[in-house]
Amino acid sequence: MDILKDVRVVDFTRMLAGPYATRLLADFGAEVIKIQCGKTAFGGEANDTAYFRTWNRNKRSITLDMTHPEAREILLRLTAVSDVVMENFSPRVMSNWGLAYDDLKQVNPGLIMVRMSGMGQTGPWRNMVAFGSTIQSLSGITSLTSYDKEEPLGPGQAYADHVAGIYGAIAVLAALENRDRTGQGRCIDLSEYEAMCTLMGPALMEVLVNHQDPVPHGNNADYVSAAPHGCYRCRGDDQWCVIAVSNETEWEGLCHAAGHGEWLADERFANIDARKDHHKELDPLIRAWTIEQRAHEVERLLQEAGVPAAVVKNAEDLADDPQLRARDYFVRLKHPILGEDVTDTNPFTFKSFSTSRWKASPALGEANQYVFLDLLGLSEIEFSDYRKRGIIA
Amino acid sequence: MVEPEKNNKGFLSGIKVLDLADEKASFSTKLLADMGARVIKVERPGGDSSRWVGPFWGGAPHCERSLSFCYHNMNKLGITLDMEREAGRDIFLKLVKRSDIVVESFLPGYLTTLGLDFECLSRVNPRLILASVSGFGQKGPRRGDKSCDLVAAASGGQMFVSGSPMKSPLKSFGEQAYYTASLFAAFGVLLALRMRRQNGRGEHLDISLQESVASTLEHVMIRYFHDRIIPQRQGGLHWNNLFCILPCRDGHIHMTPFERWETLVGWLKSEDMAEDLHEQRWHDPAYRLKNIDHVLSVFRRWTKTHTRGELFELAQLMRFPWAPVHSIKEVANSDHLKERGFFVDVEHPIGGVPLKCPGPLFRGGLHLKKARKGAPLVGEDNVVVYQKELGITEKEYERLLSIKMI
Repeated sequence: MDILKDVRVVDFTRMLAGPYATRLLADFGAEVIKIQCGKTAFGGEANDTAYFRTWNRNKRSITLDMTHPEAREILLRLTAVSDVVMENFSPRVMSNWGLAYDDLKQVNPGLIMVRMSGMGQTGPWRNMVAFGSTIQSLSGITSLTSYDKEEPLGPGQAYADHVAGIYGAIAVLAALENRDRTGQGRCIDLSEYEAMCTLMGPALMEVLVNHQDPVPHGNNADYVSAAPHGCYRCRGDDQWCVIAVSNETEWEGLCHAAGHGEWLADERFANIDARKDHHKELDPLIRAWTIEQRAHEVERLLQEAGVPAAVVKNAEDLADDPQLRARDYFVRLKHPILGEDVTDTNPFTFKSFSTSRWKASPALGEANQYVFLDLLGLSEIEFSDYRKRGIIA
Repeated sequence: MVEPEKNNKGFLSGIKVLDLADEKASFSTKLLADMGARVIKVERPGGDSSRWVGPFWGGAPHCERSLSFCYHNMNKLGITLDMEREAGRDIFLKLVKRSDIVVESFLPGYLTTLGLDFECLSRVNPRLILASVSGFGQKGPRRGDKSCDLVAAASGGQMFVSGSPMKSPLKSFGEQAYYTASLFAAFGVLLALRMRRQNGRGEHLDISLQESVASTLEHVMIRYFHDRIIPQRQGGLHWNNLFCILPCRDGHIHMTPFERWETLVGWLKSEDMAEDLHEQRWHDPAYRLKNIDHVLSVFRRWTKTHTRGELFELAQLMRFPWAPVHSIKEVANSDHLKERGFFVDVEHPIGGVPLKCPGPLFRGGLHLKKARKGAPLVGEDNVVVYQKELGITEKEYERLLSIKMI
């Protein structure tokens, strides 16, 4: 099960995008050594917060104050016995520490380095400060995830951080594949802004090829051909069900399930294009039906009739979702100090997959002994000297 | 920076992939193709349904003019095959024998009815990796339910936390569930390749659209599991109130209303726009949060006197993580992206001019240096694959064509 057990990762990443990438690697057995420091372990990087615990399970933690000149030598020794270095600082930070890829390569010629910054290592915006939601605004997904042009809203979570994170993990695995074949290391420049833009491809091509600027349209179908295609209020407080009809068989299914066979004879709704044109008349009719039903009843009736439909689930619904439970999507991890953590696993599974060896997130510097003494061979005296002088801190 | 690969191979050269996926997962094999894998898209005779997903080159729907199909299938070869008939199945199994990876996105159980489930494929090729992307996964009570991007966004929890509290939940734009599932599928495939290197055996990866969405919710499940909070929709205001979106003279700015309060209020004050915000009581973060509507309305009056560009530039100088809310057109015209060479030209036989699209993401030699080819036309590579590679005679090939097997 520990597919990546022979892969050691030096992890400088912070917050979400980078830690999500290294979490994906740690979940499958990579030894991820997170470089922390008492001075910077606060906010989303404080080891006891729920946020930190979620994104840093299965990792080790050491403390090393990188602003101290002697930390560099220790870090180079660690790099020499590792496979991958990951970081998500502004472009100049690593080179300011004398830890550019060329420096790291000196001690480890096969090293893989993945640099995950907001904007990438080059270009006029390379030093820009950006978070996931900033990048969403820049990439166009915020303006298009809206009911109309007047009020841009965007996704209600830092989606771009996950996107960059998965891409980061893909980069590591592809570079490992290459290293296993050729012995060569690589330095990969990954821009979160561009990562998000790759997922806006068809919209960008509307501009680049067709010279059209797409506008937001709520929950109407984006590029698939479908109508009705929307989110309808159901009985109860803030209860909703989505319905997507992409062919005439599904349309018939919907009309019969809703008990409105007469819609089939209505010319305004005769085919997808007609229903798109008349969605302002059709949507209230559907809503008049759904508002009388429970969302799960609408979902069941429509799915039985072969129509794609789903309850809009909130966090509590997801935690209790029978499908997710049946698939062991959530896992409980015992934390030695903080009790139990419940977190999601990953959206893919396979026969030999198991979470039995998963561990909760590390305490600050939990692996100092292991890394500095066992792995790097510092003597007890050296170790306590570094501690006294605030380098291992 | 590292010098680019001398040849045009990419890191995954030599890996052979069969892509049976429609729009739900074809992006996963695009990623593999961009990295040098040899991907053959296997479509039903006449072409895959994803050729009818827009937008269309020039606007009018046409099976060779789907820009999303072009984008999701560049660098792939394309063949047509009727796998629902015995002879088609046999041809498919011959291809499976020579392949490393199959990616599919049918309704769970469909491949079993064709006699082409993982067990069958493994018998032919024990090293084969099968990646199955479906709405709810291959197992569980809802495995048979129909899904699509909208259903995944609802059942995976993204919609509930997006949009205005006064209006309906809102789906992210542009089939994001398909992209997310495709990214996870590509990661899973690379993982399975490494596992195969260790134990010599293939694996069946079961990827769920619902879970793909649920896995990209950032704060949502954390707050529920740790604080029993059910996150709600709050429009353009970020869940932790760190960011919000306010109107400007020429659009909207994404800004931080609470970060480094004194600096920010000093900025407003220097323009005589701080109103009462410089008063002592507003120094208390809890008080600000309690009266967030007032704080935002003062900021709103101020941002409305500026353009996005003015605010963006000054804010970044002060290291505030602000940004303009860009339209897609502005993204396409971004100087930053242009300087990094992010947009590339891909040849396409229809229309005569190359198509411009977002290029591969990674810099540093991981990808093909230059796009190998545009997306295939329907059956474009039938001759190459069937005659040259599988050794089907010309006569037999003609017969297969005439009975619409290929």
